[in-house]
Amino acid sequence: MEHKPDWEPTIVGFLCKWCSYAGADLAGTSRKKYPANVRIMKIPCSGRVDPLLVLKGLRLGFDGVVVSGCHPGDCHYQTGNYRARRRIAITKKFLEYMGVPEERIQASWVSASEGDKFAQVVADTTKGIKKIGPNKLFAGNGR
Amino acid sequence: MEQELRKEAKKLLEDGKVDYIVGFAAGTLKFSTTPLITRDKEEVASLVINPFIVNNLAKFLTQLPGRVGIVAKGCDSRSIVSLIQDNQVTRDNLVIIGVPCSGLIDMVKVEKLVDRDRDEIDNIAIKGETVAVVISKETMELPIEKVLFDNCLDCKHPSAQEYDTFIGEPNDTICVRGTGEDKIKELEGMTSEERWEFWRTQFSRCIKCYACRQACPACFCERCFVEESEPKWVLPLPKWQDNLIFQVIRNIHVAGRCTDCGACERVCPVNIPLRSLTKKMCGLVSEMFSYEAGMDKNAPPLMTAYEYEEAKDLIR
Repeated sequence: MEHKPDWEPTIVGFLCKWCSYAGADLAGTSRKKYPANVRIMKIPCSGRVDPLLVLKGLRLGFDGVVVSGCHPGDCHYQTGNYRARRRIAITKKFLEYMGVPEERIQASWVSASEGDKFAQVVADTTKGIKKIGPNKLFAGNGR
Repeated sequence: MEQELRKEAKKLLEDGKVDYIVGFAAGTLKFSTTPLITRDKEEVASLVINPFIVNNLAKFLTQLPGRVGIVAKGCDSRSIVSLIQDNQVTRDNLVIIGVPCSGLIDMVKVEKLVDRDRDEIDNIAIKGETVAVVISKETMELPIEKVLFDNCLDCKHPSAQEYDTFIGEPNDTICVRGTGEDKIKELEGMTSEERWEFWRTQFSRCIKCYACRQACPACFCERCFVEESEPKWVLPLPKWQDNLIFQVIRNIHVAGRCTDCGACERVCPVNIPLRSLTKKMCGLVSEMFSYEAGMDKNAPPLMTAYEYEEAKDLIR
């Protein structure tokens, strides 16, 4: 896809406040280097991630969406991430069928102690999205 | 068969076993039917069973108080089971009258094939693998796969799965002559840009009448997300972007409830191929979670249940 050479993707990250948000915090406090492309939204639990949030993110023009929560079995609310998993899996697969490249929607489990993993997830997502170019899915016809 | 059904329905009302009977009566047009919801013992005499009973009656269950006797084909019965799973109706308040179904006839296809208006046709009857159409004493035999609705041609469970009484003989011939799978395969063969372009074109036609939602038995929310104004998820204008988001989210909401009955596609005034979405969703649900909607009334609804190990390759 054609785009400016200095283009940087913007990614919205929905991070669970108990694990992934703390993981992102740890990445920061331990001075890990990771691309500054992600805009973090703190959510109470990955179970809060409505498929609408993912689509709204793409509709608003974000180039990618990262959803991250506690590892299965570690949910602060016991089962929130198990439920999130089914929903995110369906959303991802279904949007892929509609024609959204799978790189645009990333899901991961990051615990509060995995600052490294968070940095890696953001780096990989950014790399993937740079490869496919800016999000022009909902472009045209006004916003 | 119709007599038996009428007798049964009348008896249910007389014995006070149900407050309402939900079934089909002849419609105002030839070869059409209309849903009949009645408490009147005499009115049940107008109940019919024929290959034109297209509506999914499960839609009315969430809106009726008290005990209901309902006429159910295979697709209705699966939608009813999925409403029971979701606690939208109580099994004890239902008397399900199962009816056999050998496919529903799409009058648009028939009119096109015989090149006549439906008023000029005298009779239509399914006879095994052919459909006999009588026009001014002349009989035309049409192959069945040319006149049935697309979803009927893909149907795996034509007779009611859950019932209290059954009128006639259950028919469990699996019909797999449909083209639903081929259409999905064709889309999957495209690149993601082409697929997106395909759906963009389709949803540019959408006029946002919400008929798909209104006809869908799985769409039982009292307030739909599209009507929320705070936050406003989608604009009320029929822009293709919002139309597409609406349909994608609707399909995700009904994942595990949708039985691929085709009601949404039938009511669409601009003929968007919605079954290419619903059928794909049913496929995904069965492939990822080995779940089939509306088969087991005691199973928990798909999206509220979980296994300890799932979808490993999708989430890192």
